[in-house]
Amino acid sequence: MVLTMPRISVSAAAEPIGGFLAMTLDSAVCLFTRRLHVREFLEQTKFVAGVSTMPSILVMIPFAGFVVFILNQLLGQIGAVDLAGTGAAFAVTREVGPIASVLVVSGAGATAICADLGARTIREELDAMRVLGIDPIHRLVVPRILASGLVALVLDAVVSVVGLATGYMFSVVVQGGSAGQYMASMTLLTGLPELALSGIKSLVYGLAAGMVACYKGLSVGGGPKAVGEAVNQTVILSLVVLFVFNTVASAAFTQLGIGTS
Amino acid sequence: MIEPTPPHTRRYADAQLENIDRLGDQLLFYGKAYGSIPRALVRYKREVVTQIAAITFGSGALAAVGGSAAVVGFINVMTGTEVTTQGYASLTNVGIEVLTGLFVAFISVRIVVPVVAAVALVATVGAGITAELGARRISDEIDALEVMAIPPIPYLVATRIVAGLAAITPLYALALLMSWLASWLAATSLYGLSAGAYAHYFTTFLIPSDVLVSYVEVVVMSVVIVSIHCYYGFHASGGPAGVGVAVGRSVRLSLILVLITLFALTLVLYGNSSTLHITR
Repeated sequence: MVLTMPRISVSAAAEPIGGFLAMTLDSAVCLFTRRLHVREFLEQTKFVAGVSTMPSILVMIPFAGFVVFILNQLLGQIGAVDLAGTGAAFAVTREVGPIASVLVVSGAGATAICADLGARTIREELDAMRVLGIDPIHRLVVPRILASGLVALVLDAVVSVVGLATGYMFSVVVQGGSAGQYMASMTLLTGLPELALSGIKSLVYGLAAGMVACYKGLSVGGGPKAVGEAVNQTVILSLVVLFVFNTVASAAFTQLGIGTS
Repeated sequence: MIEPTPPHTRRYADAQLENIDRLGDQLLFYGKAYGSIPRALVRYKREVVTQIAAITFGSGALAAVGGSAAVVGFINVMTGTEVTTQGYASLTNVGIEVLTGLFVAFISVRIVVPVVAAVALVATVGAGITAELGARRISDEIDALEVMAIPPIPYLVATRIVAGLAAITPLYALALLMSWLASWLAATSLYGLSAGAYAHYFTTFLIPSDVLVSYVEVVVMSVVIVSIHCYYGFHASGGPAGVGVAVGRSVRLSLILVLITLFALTLVLYGNSSTLHITR
């Protein structure tokens, strides 16, 4: 393989951004002006949930386990192991839950959506749809974006429960905390506003991951590398969006001071 | 007379047997790849160097935005800010926001940076490897290598594992530094903490052996990531669409395995002995 310097030109950098914004705008307009294709939406929800549910649980168990383990070591140092529930609920609801749910939705769901749409694009199925007068944005993109958002939201709830249960196992069984105190102290720093933030975060990430996947899938070029590269870029872009939005949302939440505490 | 096996039972059993088969196949592949690392180091030095460059700065479209290094650095800036935000917000509740430096030193080294660096590596380096090897497989380039008597596993897979090991050190150093820098900036300029107090608690509770442990974790995870993605790319089939599916599958599996690895390493390396002594 010969290493070549990347050619940087303004149009090459600006085109994907413009295309992405145009597709987002089209989907937003389509969402509110035309009836949702319910059948496709349900099928896509089932599909994304099918590829993401088990992986998200399998990601969450070790993730929550090691976060709670380390937090408990810190709490143990200041003699506050009885607050293990607080730490676990705080970490799982505010950070680990949304991140784990969306990592899997972008790593499993969005990649599958992008691979599927990319395969259809290179087989020219989408051009055929346009010829038949079917708008791919209405028929394919909008249901997929909504499905990805819905699954991310629901998975956040699932992985939060899994995370809290893992935290309980670690605090009580492994690190010798008290079961009653774990349960009682869970709501000390985590209330309805935190839960709402967690849900909003997951929903927005899910929608964003779906949009990136659809854009990358629809704009696949030619060649044997095309679909693979599109999927690769989907993962990278949705990850960047995930961490940027996570930081902005948490900072705004703290600044506005809506928290329980 | 023996009853014939009901068809759905047989189908289930076949599926399970196939899974075991695939697992064995995968383990064999990894064994061969690790076994041929010395050969790659001796024979294919040039390819190793090329791969180090490709892993650090990316190839194709990724290179235009600065490669894996830029993505890893940028994401860590974001999460570094996030650590300060959460730490400051929760410590303010009990009136000890001056200890934000302690929170950052402890949480970022032990939890955040290893996880974020690993996830960023899965997305950039890992998925890129699957896409590239998959494209080579479906355009019969790997068969062509065999015809030319170049063994594909040492040449393609072992060189990438070595390159991943070599590239991870600067990438992880970059990740740590970016995360700390962003945390420091957020604490001192965004939340108005005193720079001296932050620096004091940060340096007091930044434990050198923890940094080393987290580095060991990331090195192990890089081997896991590169191996899985090489396997899926190497065995891609079904045309360009099949490569896309392979990339998706490999990302899913490596996300799970990376977190399980991290969990196991945390228990082993931090397990019993706590290196953190606040009250002693």
